[in-house]
Amino acid sequence: MIVGSASVVIQYILDSIANGSLYALMALSLSLLFGVMGLMNFAYGELIMSGAFTMYYTHSWGPVGMIAMTVIVVVVMSLLMELLAFRPLRKAGPSTLLITSFALSIALQKLAYMTTNPGIPKTVRPYPWLTRQFEVSGVLMSRLEVIIWVMTIVLLVGMTLLLKRTALGIQLRASTEDFRMSQLVGVKANRVISSAFAITGLLASVVTVLFMLGHGDVRPNVGQGPVLVAFVGGVIGGLGSLPGAALGGFVLGLVLNILQATLPRSLQGHTTMFAFLGVIAILVLQPGGMIVSIRKLRRKRDQAAALSEGAPS
Amino acid sequence: MIKSFERYARIVWTPFFLSILLVITWVVVELNGDIFYQNEAEKLFLRLMIVIGLQIFSGNSGVLSFGQVAFMAVGAYMSALLTIPLEIKKFTFLSMPEVMKSWVFPAHLNEWNGTTGTLAGAGFAILFAAVFGIPIVRLIGVAAGIGTIAILVAMNVFIQQTSSITRGTSTQIGVPQTTTLGSTVIWLVIAIVIAYAFRQSRLGLRLRASRENERAAKSVGVNIAKERYLAFVLSGFICGLGGALYAHYFISFSYLDFYFDLTFITIAMLVVGGMGSVSGGVIGAYFLTFIYVAFQRLEVNGLFDGKAPSGTADLVLALALLLTLIYRPKGITGGKEIPFPTDWSFRWVGRLLRGEIRPKAHSLSEGLKVLGLDRLSSKDKGQR
Repeated sequence: MIVGSASVVIQYILDSIANGSLYALMALSLSLLFGVMGLMNFAYGELIMSGAFTMYYTHSWGPVGMIAMTVIVVVVMSLLMELLAFRPLRKAGPSTLLITSFALSIALQKLAYMTTNPGIPKTVRPYPWLTRQFEVSGVLMSRLEVIIWVMTIVLLVGMTLLLKRTALGIQLRASTEDFRMSQLVGVKANRVISSAFAITGLLASVVTVLFMLGHGDVRPNVGQGPVLVAFVGGVIGGLGSLPGAALGGFVLGLVLNILQATLPRSLQGHTTMFAFLGVIAILVLQPGGMIVSIRKLRRKRDQAAALSEGAPS
Repeated sequence: MIKSFERYARIVWTPFFLSILLVITWVVVELNGDIFYQNEAEKLFLRLMIVIGLQIFSGNSGVLSFGQVAFMAVGAYMSALLTIPLEIKKFTFLSMPEVMKSWVFPAHLNEWNGTTGTLAGAGFAILFAAVFGIPIVRLIGVAAGIGTIAILVAMNVFIQQTSSITRGTSTQIGVPQTTTLGSTVIWLVIAIVIAYAFRQSRLGLRLRASRENERAAKSVGVNIAKERYLAFVLSGFICGLGGALYAHYFISFSYLDFYFDLTFITIAMLVVGGMGSVSGGVIGAYFLTFIYVAFQRLEVNGLFDGKAPSGTADLVLALALLLTLIYRPKGITGGKEIPFPTDWSFRWVGRLLRGEIRPKAHSLSEGLKVLGLDRLSSKDKGQR
């Protein structure tokens, strides 16, 4: 460990929070689709990829035009994905959906290889005023990091409000609980699933913009790595529960980033391996994810408390 | 006399037919002598090996595995380690831990044209499958898919990062080239016989029963976890075999050869052909290889002075898989084996000629469904 002083520790944590936030947003969107239609969407990485290419090609339009175009393209891509690939397979089992998303992901990657001339390395030129670091009481920060925190908080609050306060949110949550039952009481399947995909696309576009502004390199498989990590985080937190997945993604992104910075070089690469082995362990031991086990514990404690109160002393 | 002959002939018919197909392919490619087609044929055979491995587990149990390629990697790497000559190993694996050095360095398993090395690699694949099988067989549905993906990624990261044992991101040096097209075909025939025998055996039948209805199978005393475990380990063996053969044919290989691309193509072959049968795996592998090679030639040679952009072949493959999933989810064979010659029926040809059956308007109705237009009819209103 090379931890020298308190400010270094704070520095690591601050850098990692930005990383974790992006993974939280990704895990949240994965979880949304998983809940509504039992779909583990691999092709999510290709939403990020399509957004990244849009950013590359529209960079000259200035930041506002670029971001607007990226959001539009990614949301439309997401909706098209649902319409063309997943809607015909609505009644198929989750395994079929998994293969479908896998095939879709490969198809889109290859399409990108074919159409974008991968021989030329492409980067989204970063905006210096965003990524330049400045010092706040001994800790280095960049505007981009601050924007990532703010955006994550705004989106999480927005999502919470949407899910708790609007009719659509209630329908979404109902569909996550029990899809068939919610249909029986009048929730429109197509509308709910389409809006889940639209929300996913929106989140993906935000993630893309924030990720690519700091990261830069545009490749056809740019989305694959992040989506795998987000999905591990989601499974650890519990893909079946929206806050669980977001928390899992956040914690995993945070921990991985801290480990990357602090572990000796020879062990760094293996952190990902242990994360994936951990996924297998969690799937077997705690299939609902950690959030479920915490809830279960709390319920048990409450029951015990209720029992001891109720018992005559 | 004839009755009993037919009975035995029926039993060996499917593996016999598939083996003949393989041997014919081999002879044609060998006589042709073009190195391009020889490499493509070897790729087809090795992919087919993985497809058969996948079929044993996924086809019979209905649990999809994305992780079998990881066992192929184990077979390839271990078999390579045990057969590379000592003089080369001394330089390429300088920092190998002492624990492994002691038995890896003196090993030189090249007896019988490399058969021992191949079997040793497959043996290690069995060990890995036996360990990873314990959690995987306890998972159901999408969780099993996720778990096997985790195996694949974990194995890939391990190979990439543990350069003292695997040479990390560099390719292997000094692997003896002992696999030939002919030896691959022999191994493949053995694999097909094993897979078919397993499918038809009591074990396979129990496993297929659990695929159709888990509760009903349990209620008649099928121990699902145990049956799945056996299939998983057997599948690991076949995949390890494929990996070892791969290592000794394409002698310089790296971690990139055993990742999502190969996983995808093998799953596509199995699903397109039909997961439920060994014939399905073989037919799917041939079918997709045919498409793939055709489009690859199109990328290289072009047609009517226009060349297809590179990547077309992969895209077409992905589209073939998507279309199969949508229009024919049980694959080309529908999960059936090749029927015995006396059961072949060509009556449908005559009926088609007389116009009694028309091709189904599948594509039209599905297309309408995709666009949401079928909802206009009153029948489907209940679904909305």
